[in-house]
Amino acid sequence: MLSLLIGLPMVGSLGLFLGLGGRRLAIVLAGIPLVISLLLFRDFDLQATGMQWLEHRDWIPQLGLNYSLGLDGLSLLMLALNGLITLIAILTTEPEVKRPNLFYGLILLMSGAVNGAFTTQNLILFFLFYELVLIPIYLLISIWGSNKRDYAAIKFLIYTAVSAVFLLGAFLAIYWIGDPHSFELAEIPISDFSPAVQTLLLLALIVAFGIKMPLIPFHTWLPDAYGESSAPVAMLLGGVLSKLGTYGLFRFGLQLWPQAWADLAGILAWWGAVAVLSGALAAIAQKDIKRMVAYSSIGHMGYILLGMAAATPISLTGVMVQMVAHGLILALLFDLVGLVERKVGTRDLDVLNGLLNPLRGLPGISALLILGGMASAGIPGLVGFVAEFLIFQGSYSDFPLPTLIGILGTGLTAVYFVILLNRTCFGKLDNRTAYYPSVQGWERIPGLILAGLILWFGIQPMNLVKWPQQLAFTLSTQVAQTHTVILAEASEVSG
Amino acid sequence: MTTTLAATKLPPSTHPFAEIVHRLEAGGSMLPDTPENLMQIIGLYKAYAVPMDFYWRDLLYIAEQVFVDPLPFFKFIIPEEYLKLANHYAGESADLRIWRGIDTAHPELLEFMEKGELKRKLPRILHHLWHDRINMEFAEECMRAMLWHRDMGGLLDPYMDSEEYKQNADRAIRAYVQGNPLLQGLYKLFPDMFMELCRQATMYSVLGLFWEVMAPVFFEMSDLYDEGKLTTVPEAMNFLVNGIFAVAGRPIYHRVRIRGEWYDIVPKSKGFTWLYEAAFPYVEAVFYRTSPFRGTKSYNAQANQVPTNQLDFHYGILYADKFPVASAGIPPTLLHQDMYHFLPQYLVDYYRQHCRGEEDMLIQLGVSFQRSMYNVTSAVIQAGRAAFLYPLDDPNPRHLMMNRRYFEGQLNRFARPEYGIREAARLTYIQDQNYR
Repeated sequence: MLSLLIGLPMVGSLGLFLGLGGRRLAIVLAGIPLVISLLLFRDFDLQATGMQWLEHRDWIPQLGLNYSLGLDGLSLLMLALNGLITLIAILTTEPEVKRPNLFYGLILLMSGAVNGAFTTQNLILFFLFYELVLIPIYLLISIWGSNKRDYAAIKFLIYTAVSAVFLLGAFLAIYWIGDPHSFELAEIPISDFSPAVQTLLLLALIVAFGIKMPLIPFHTWLPDAYGESSAPVAMLLGGVLSKLGTYGLFRFGLQLWPQAWADLAGILAWWGAVAVLSGALAAIAQKDIKRMVAYSSIGHMGYILLGMAAATPISLTGVMVQMVAHGLILALLFDLVGLVERKVGTRDLDVLNGLLNPLRGLPGISALLILGGMASAGIPGLVGFVAEFLIFQGSYSDFPLPTLIGILGTGLTAVYFVILLNRTCFGKLDNRTAYYPSVQGWERIPGLILAGLILWFGIQPMNLVKWPQQLAFTLSTQVAQTHTVILAEASEVSG
Repeated sequence: MTTTLAATKLPPSTHPFAEIVHRLEAGGSMLPDTPENLMQIIGLYKAYAVPMDFYWRDLLYIAEQVFVDPLPFFKFIIPEEYLKLANHYAGESADLRIWRGIDTAHPELLEFMEKGELKRKLPRILHHLWHDRINMEFAEECMRAMLWHRDMGGLLDPYMDSEEYKQNADRAIRAYVQGNPLLQGLYKLFPDMFMELCRQATMYSVLGLFWEVMAPVFFEMSDLYDEGKLTTVPEAMNFLVNGIFAVAGRPIYHRVRIRGEWYDIVPKSKGFTWLYEAAFPYVEAVFYRTSPFRGTKSYNAQANQVPTNQLDFHYGILYADKFPVASAGIPPTLLHQDMYHFLPQYLVDYYRQHCRGEEDMLIQLGVSFQRSMYNVTSAVIQAGRAAFLYPLDDPNPRHLMMNRRYFEGQLNRFARPEYGIREAARLTYIQDQNYR
């Protein structure tokens, strides 16, 4: 089942590269994995503590490279998110996109590789999938991006190459230091690693995945990459690709090194708080609505780091819900920003105005933009609130000040979205220029689907929260136990 | 683009709207002379004339029979006799036959009144409540604009504050409230309110009498265009100028019928005439100042964008932003909705080809309406020039210079930097054919 999620899009992409099918085939090939991932929900055991749907095949045993897959609550949510955003990205693409088969094929290739990364239980296989994602994304930015696409694509490539160096270095160190040597996640003898080595490895992983998420100060590739990409690619970058970073940090940072994580938690919490504030302040200063949304993403990554730092059952649940919420909201916002740009021809806040105009504006799109802004600002009743509330509630007891800063950040998020909405949607259209084409029915569908989910999970949060709860509880227990051990050792030393 | 009727003997104007000044001096309109503009304005005149045929009849009904009723629930349910009321400027028995058609209500109007947009014959009250009807609210807003912007010149306005008017009104009001103790008590308690209601009724009558003329004028222009006899924008404007002068002396009056007896509030014998007491005040109040297109632009009073002097208000149709403002959804106004039902097919086809076609036709016709009203205003400006100044081909350069100052003075109303409203006026916009 899991192999199908990886293989089908990849094989499909090969078919598309060879000129078979087209948009319809791409939709089918994106739709099937989504259906499969939804079927996984049906049979998922909520009480199980370990991995489910395990698959294992030896591949190159001499290298420790095995094809081993598995699924827990986090992977399950990420698979569904990836399936959904991939389908939405294809639906959002203009039918007259140039070189359609290559475009759709690259999206499917990326989607398959991301599914692999989300399910693999082997470090080196994760690395391969992680790197494989780069190729389609680089091409998607550099071929279908806007004016500065080459610069943005190269910058993205350089940053992620650096990320890969840190990641590979950390994985190889794990392999060499561990005894027996193994890349299998379940077989890594954590007790073999001294606390100092654990901390060093964790730091390397934080840099590697911090670039991917991205975390401040590794974020400077993001505004260019998001800003210069076409709307569907920006949706994939923000909705799915950034989750590779958060997922990696969760899986290979927090889950693998709970002791080192507990040591660094205070720093990480403050780091998250700073990311929230600086992302929001940078967003406020933007004149380009796409870059504004991009910077909002940096701020929201800060919430994830804050929640992971606290590592309580509630905050970790909130983190995993935030990954989904962020993916849905960012995909919606990029879809809408893309539509605005397509219809109006600009993303400049100083030019846009009055799009709520019922007859000559883009009233439906503007209404969805308002919803997306509200969701991103954590307005109750929408999925963003569920995630942020859980993170804040779970983090406050351990890190009250960073949490309060995070709450302040939600206020700042509301500020820049009010600026965006006020300039873009309200006011009056310019009589001389406002002859925008109307939005077609098919163009509304992706936004409506995403908005529906944002609303649904906001009203029925348990439909989202229940899947990662067990994992959150297990991990928080591990961190708490190591934390207790550290405290006990410290008291012995002082005693 | 511009039709030059006479070469100017003056140096070029340095006015910000010099091109338009020269066009007016040459006998043209503020609206550029293009076949597309002509088609738009004539089509709109026709679409306007049909609801206008309802407006004037109902306005007279309200002025004459509803009068000072404090709860006029059924004032828009026009009686049959007013639908059959003979227009004085149409049909066989016209005083001055402007339109060659019939003098009773227009057939398209009657058909619409019967079946409405639903195209189903239902009791009239249901059509009314469903708003599937002619929107008299628009006409009332125009009337109120005139009432609120009194003091626009003429003699009727001061007359409405005279003792003679008050006595006439008092006599009619007493007759109206006779036999109704409640109304009698109210009149005793609030005599000024009833007097103001009477003035409002007078304004109903003034506007009704004004539009009684304009409806056949517009019908005739539409017919002439269909016959190929109106071929340029200046010709259309001149038809209006000639029409204005032909009926300039029409008496303006207000009378009330109470229990079968007529009471004169503003007697015909006072000599108030159509041009000075109805046409000019109407243009001043509705075209230039405010209502029924209010809310079409956000003005910031604290930034001094709202004049302190009401006479300086400039928010009328000539300034109106025809795009709905954000979520407020105004305009298109109720008038646009009314005109939408009676558009000639050539205009419907034209709108379908532009912008969003059917989807934003109300805006497109609103912009055409703005064009057509600039042409009507041009006619009024030319009529004013003809009435007070000199012919366009006058050999005396001093006279021509006085004409120019008059034109420039009129156009200054669209270029008033003290209020920052130059861009609010749509005069520059309508020079561009792509303004839709």
